[in-house]
Amino acid sequence: MAEEEIARRDCTRLLAARVEYGALAGLMPEALHCCFEAIIRGTAHEQARLELVCLPVRLRCPFCGAIFGGDSQDALATPCPGCGELFGHIVEQGKEMILSRLEAL
Amino acid sequence: MQIPVIRNVLEANEKMADKVRERLSGRDILALNLISSPGAGKTSLLERTLRDLAGKFRMAVIEGDLQTSNDAERVAATGAQAVQINTEGGCHLNSDMVSRALDKLSLDGVDILFIENVGNLVCPVEFDCGEDAKIALLSVAEGDDKPEKYPLLFNLAKAMVLNKIDLLPHVDFDRARARAFAVKLNRSLEIFELSCRSGEGLEAWYRWLEKARAGKMRGRTG
Repeated sequence: MAEEEIARRDCTRLLAARVEYGALAGLMPEALHCCFEAIIRGTAHEQARLELVCLPVRLRCPFCGAIFGGDSQDALATPCPGCGELFGHIVEQGKEMILSRLEAL
Repeated sequence: MQIPVIRNVLEANEKMADKVRERLSGRDILALNLISSPGAGKTSLLERTLRDLAGKFRMAVIEGDLQTSNDAERVAATGAQAVQINTEGGCHLNSDMVSRALDKLSLDGVDILFIENVGNLVCPVEFDCGEDAKIALLSVAEGDDKPEKYPLLFNLAKAMVLNKIDLLPHVDFDRARARAFAVKLNRSLEIFELSCRSGEGLEAWYRWLEKARAGKMRGRTG
């Protein structure tokens, strides 16, 4: 995906790629770094850095509209700070996995 | 050069999942993605369901396993169409695998497609296979804290099947605890407690399947 984007801008060498991921996305940073190192080895992108940015969980209470959250899955099982409702929190942010920024030559 | 891009890392999977969904919806086929840990009884639930509802629906199954075609053979023994995907180490099915499996099935007249995912409560939840609903399965031989440990599945599933309730007298599984956590994560979750072995509780699961399939037809005509 990164190669596609840089080629479109006539670049050939990836220097950095940023992935933003939600705390509920199940992404393991160490594992992704490990894979990234493995796939760039021996390519033009060998020097590239992978930047991972974790997006906190943001939930909305469907009853009182309060917005709240946390850094982990535990937030899903936390009562709404607005009305105390235990159930049905809507995930506004936390499940995404987005390639958000590239740097290339 | 700095390049701002916003691309979903899983976009290839999601695009293909949408294609699968379109393909199935065009034929009014209800697609259900069964997710559980290994040994919870996904194949047993399918065997019972395929036999008991054979007169009512035409059903097809996509079986996902790392190795062997044992499950596809078990399912095919009921008379339903089945195709096996061997992921050879892969821990989940993705939409491309499902799309290729669909090419091997005859979809004419099929009412319900079951996708039996690889036994795993983690990654299968992340990969949309083009289904209408995910079904979470667990059994009373497991811990009653499964919903707590693997919240995303129970948060996203439309229904939860609690299997092997005939074993309840012999295990320490606390049904109320499992239900409470599951509902905490998903208040509209439909829960079916049943035993594929004794047949207890299956009726309610079958009613739900009928309702879901009818809903799919209405979705099309509406």
